[in-house]
Amino acid sequence: MNGFGSRFAAVALVAVASTVLSQTADAEEPAGLQFFREQIQPVLKAQCIRCHAGPADKAKGGLDLETHAALLKGGDSGPAIVPGEPAESLIIQALRHEAGLQMPPKSPKLTDRTIAEFVKWVELEAPLPADSTVGSGLAEGRRHWSFQPIRKPTPPAVAQSEWKRNAVDAFVLAKLAERRWQPAPPATRVELIRRLTFDLIGLPPTPAEVSEFIGDDSPEVYEKLVDRLLASPQYGERWGQHWLDVVRFAETEGYEYDRHIPDAWRFRDYVIQSFNSDQPFDAFATQQIAGDELEPESHEGLTASIFHRLGPVRRNAGNPDIALSRNEVLTERTDIIGTAFLGLTVGCARCHNHKFDPIPQRDYYRLQAYFAATAEHNVVLASANERKVWEARMQETKQEIARLKTIEKTKVGTEKDRLTEQIEALEDQLPPPLATIPATHNDTAQRTAMHVLRRGVWENKGEAVGPRPLSVITADTLAELKSDDPRPRAHLARWLVSPDQPLTARVLVNRLWLHHFGTGLVKTPNDFGIKGDRPSHPELLDWLSASLVENGWRLKPLHRLIILSGTYRQSSRAPQAVEYARSDPENRLLWRFNRRRLSAEEYRDTMLAVSGQLNLKIGGPSVIPPVDPDLVKLLYKPVQWSVTADLREHDRRTVYLIAKRNLRLPFLEILDAPALLTSCARRESSTHAPQALELLNGPTSNHCADAFARRLLAEAGPDNGKMIDLAFRLLVGRAPVESEQRLALEFLGAGPVSEGPVGQDTASGGTAREQRVREFALAMFNLNESLYVP
Amino acid sequence: MFPDTPYLPAPNSRREFFRDACCGFGGLALASLVHEEQAQAEGRHPLEIQQPHFPPKATSVIFLFMAGGPSHIDTFDPKPLLSKLDGQPRPATFGEAKYQFIPQGARLMGTKRTFKKYGQSGIDVSDLFPHTARCIDDIAVLRSCHGDMVVHSSAQYELFSGRVVPGFPSMGSWTLYGLGSASRSLPAYVVLTDPRGALEAGQPMYAHGFLPAIYQPTMFRPGERPVLNLDLPRQTDAGQRRRTLQLIRDLNTATLDPADVEFQARISAYDLAFRMQTEAPDILDLSHETAETQKLYGIGREPTHDYGRRCLLARKLVENGVRFVCVVSGGGLGNLQWDAHDDIEENHLRKAAETDQPVAALLQDLKSRGLLDTTLVVWGGEFGRSPEAQSGKGRDHHNLGFSMWLAGGGVKGGQVVGATDDIGLRAVERPYHFRDLHTTILHQLGLDQHRLTYPHLGRNERLTFVEGKVIKEVV
Repeated sequence: MNGFGSRFAAVALVAVASTVLSQTADAEEPAGLQFFREQIQPVLKAQCIRCHAGPADKAKGGLDLETHAALLKGGDSGPAIVPGEPAESLIIQALRHEAGLQMPPKSPKLTDRTIAEFVKWVELEAPLPADSTVGSGLAEGRRHWSFQPIRKPTPPAVAQSEWKRNAVDAFVLAKLAERRWQPAPPATRVELIRRLTFDLIGLPPTPAEVSEFIGDDSPEVYEKLVDRLLASPQYGERWGQHWLDVVRFAETEGYEYDRHIPDAWRFRDYVIQSFNSDQPFDAFATQQIAGDELEPESHEGLTASIFHRLGPVRRNAGNPDIALSRNEVLTERTDIIGTAFLGLTVGCARCHNHKFDPIPQRDYYRLQAYFAATAEHNVVLASANERKVWEARMQETKQEIARLKTIEKTKVGTEKDRLTEQIEALEDQLPPPLATIPATHNDTAQRTAMHVLRRGVWENKGEAVGPRPLSVITADTLAELKSDDPRPRAHLARWLVSPDQPLTARVLVNRLWLHHFGTGLVKTPNDFGIKGDRPSHPELLDWLSASLVENGWRLKPLHRLIILSGTYRQSSRAPQAVEYARSDPENRLLWRFNRRRLSAEEYRDTMLAVSGQLNLKIGGPSVIPPVDPDLVKLLYKPVQWSVTADLREHDRRTVYLIAKRNLRLPFLEILDAPALLTSCARRESSTHAPQALELLNGPTSNHCADAFARRLLAEAGPDNGKMIDLAFRLLVGRAPVESEQRLALEFLGAGPVSEGPVGQDTASGGTAREQRVREFALAMFNLNESLYVP
Repeated sequence: MFPDTPYLPAPNSRREFFRDACCGFGGLALASLVHEEQAQAEGRHPLEIQQPHFPPKATSVIFLFMAGGPSHIDTFDPKPLLSKLDGQPRPATFGEAKYQFIPQGARLMGTKRTFKKYGQSGIDVSDLFPHTARCIDDIAVLRSCHGDMVVHSSAQYELFSGRVVPGFPSMGSWTLYGLGSASRSLPAYVVLTDPRGALEAGQPMYAHGFLPAIYQPTMFRPGERPVLNLDLPRQTDAGQRRRTLQLIRDLNTATLDPADVEFQARISAYDLAFRMQTEAPDILDLSHETAETQKLYGIGREPTHDYGRRCLLARKLVENGVRFVCVVSGGGLGNLQWDAHDDIEENHLRKAAETDQPVAALLQDLKSRGLLDTTLVVWGGEFGRSPEAQSGKGRDHHNLGFSMWLAGGGVKGGQVVGATDDIGLRAVERPYHFRDLHTTILHQLGLDQHRLTYPHLGRNERLTFVEGKVIKEVV
């Protein structure tokens, strides 16, 4: 029987191999191979490879499951698989716990569903990719495109045209030419200035800026605009937000206490400032990862290290499970490195070898080992005297709390509840924390001994490990860093931005492209692994990545390259849209520009800006704006929402509003602002009725509509036509067309109306005309065109 | 304490608005229907009704969330041995347990409650729940539930989202993502919170995580405005607002490219918003219910008034196509939840008195309207309570074994599934994890846990983080 099985296997294998070789890597795989990759390979990797890998004298039972040949050859008991004959395949018997076999050992049986998939796979004659290994497979993994070194390709030769502006276009046009496709014509000037202004500073252009741009005939008018916007202090507020999304920036810890991290806003200001000063990204990354190690005396370095404080933290009352809490904190600190810088889901390797990517579980804990000694370190900035006054008040309140707590213990029922409330009220009256940098440092006394943790459970300590970068992009000869290295994170940072580590630059370039175009060259910005998307323009991605490094990791030159391109300047309407969309519905080949909806922040900032209320103050503590009291009641500690007293602060840019994990502002939430709990690389853009209700009836848009109406009345006076013209120019950057003008005039009442009350006053007071203008202002906010960038 | 009619639509002016708006918008509503049908034909609207993966038993879920963690030992899981061992340390044979507050070596505490067998099935229910006990033949009691965490916030996240950390979509959002909305005028996933305050895990527990905002829960609030933004801002009036909506529509269509499906969808969203404004208040108006029904739920008298109103509202929502309703019992300070650290008797007698009659009324009412067949009702908290005493008369959190129950929605009632050991410490017979509960809920809705996925950070995430089992005994 065995002999027959082996022969059969050999035949099957040849067939599979030829199928694979006859196809390019990008082409569709035969269904059986896809089934193997998606259903079988992950289980083999996660469950079996730990023991069954390597040469026969090392692998358990002599069975090596890492390569297809070895799998078919089998181990000491014979071939693991008899293709087409599940009942006779040892691997199936072992999974089913039959014939005295039991795999995985000492663990519960795999689920019926998983076993059924193995059966199906064997019934399909166990198709295997001929060129692949099964296991953590570093050799195979290293061939994955994103782990290849970055080379700077020569831009392809394409015909010169007015459309083509720079090398970026050569790559895009070459791809289009393969299909004989044409890019869209250039966008109009109005579209361009709106697109650029929102893209770079997150605000609409003023009517004066639009007129100036349209009226300027000089050839460098576009470049001048680009340079003005890149130099604007609002640039950092817009682009800093993108990074804040990626690192899941929030100012509170989440979970039940949702404690406010003291002065966490300093990190937001640091990010904005870094973007504005065009700090090279390698330095920016290094400061965030190791600022406290490398610049322990510098406020900037310490502020950057707040990065490690940004994950949700579970605080506990009662019997604290210190080791578990420590494990949770380390998990957050490790996973974000993979997501934010490497674009890899390293977190998937916490419990088992990564199911898809060549990241063995050991590598995960080696990465975590860089943080073994990382601990919270609040650096108080106050003077000695300030500190003394503060401490006295703190002590006084704490003593009172302690006194009440003693009494509380002796009471029950409502009396006890009353005391508890009293104590909580006092706790809320504790003096606000002194000016602080919530930094990190290395606390060697509390260094966690790092082990591989079986199934990710901290009690199941396996092999001890030390800090080392991911094996798949590291030379095999590199040894682990010594566990007591005084500056482990500096080593990590150096590796992350080293020139022969290709991921950081590619991932960053892709993020930039994504925000300029709405979709990345790689559609999965946080996953450059095996399951991630392949780049639509791999050469362009590498050309830009190489350019980034050549430019000393500065982002502004990269922005310029991208936005000066003809690709960026094309219209979002393509004459051949219907035809092209049939085979490329997502516009991956960039045959037009992607129109996009404004983000929650842009939309709120726009309403504030056009209504003349926007307070452009830069930086400082976050603003807590008023929200519906019922929402505050939904907080476990409602007193945390202490509204900022200065009303002018309420009209500041949205990036300066507090990012509180357990109370997100309804206006932002409904327009797809992220949940602040996990990394967000790309915002969703949903459209639904509750969104319409918020924009029609919610306080944010109505507050702004009031002010917008006041501005329109003040600047346009009694002339409705003039008012309509002004409203359109402010909001959508153009004059209304004739039909729009007519509809709006009808709405406002044709011609100028006499001032003074007409009929009854409205609830808010004001004349009937004022009320109509107010509603007109609200209607303008709700236009499709007001919410979209062309 | 709180208004007598918390979920009534407010004053006359608004009624007027809805009536006027209806008349004025006749043509518009019709036009919007055409658009909506087009949208559905093109498979665009994310909330349109989705075909389940296989024929469903249930089309809606009501989760009666007993926040804080009700004791299993004092409700559905009698333990005579525990009473015998009252005052003694736990025998070593039962193994270890980690608690949030009580120290090692604490003393066991028997129940003060008495149990009786009810219904044809003869299932034990304690005297805390005399009303629920009368419905026991419709109920499948799961005595072998367990979860991974012993503190509120993480346990609540796991109960709702299958993950012990915040940021993942709740079962309500997954349901909506899988099935779409069957209601054209109501939000499809509604949480009726306890007016007395918030819970430890806060808003992220109910939320949609990384799913698009369209799958977010709608939190109904106490007071005159149950749904945020459903009523007009005070600066405007009905007639004026009707004209404003028409202007938005006219201006949007004035420059609309007929092939622009994205902008068409936005116009439809405004039409739907309008319909919600006009139709929802009427549905939410409990005054249309008979005095008999109100009495059944214990509305109009304490201590059942509040929870009774919310249970009745849950029935009305489900009746009108809402997919997932969570009715929370407990909020604010721990002792206002089922979190009986100090005195299990005082706490559970009070909480049971507030909820028992409304819960039973809901089951009866659903049944008499033929809705129980398609409505899965789930009862339980984020964990149970310790067999050991805390501070003399209380019980600590306990996640190793506790009870929940299921009724309706194709669930086979009148049975007990699984068992804890003889002191109620650990689920020992057919243990079921929260993920098994999630799998079963999805299964009854016709959804396969493996096919209901959403890509997030390189992983196809699902409600059941690790694969769950269908609780075969009940389906």
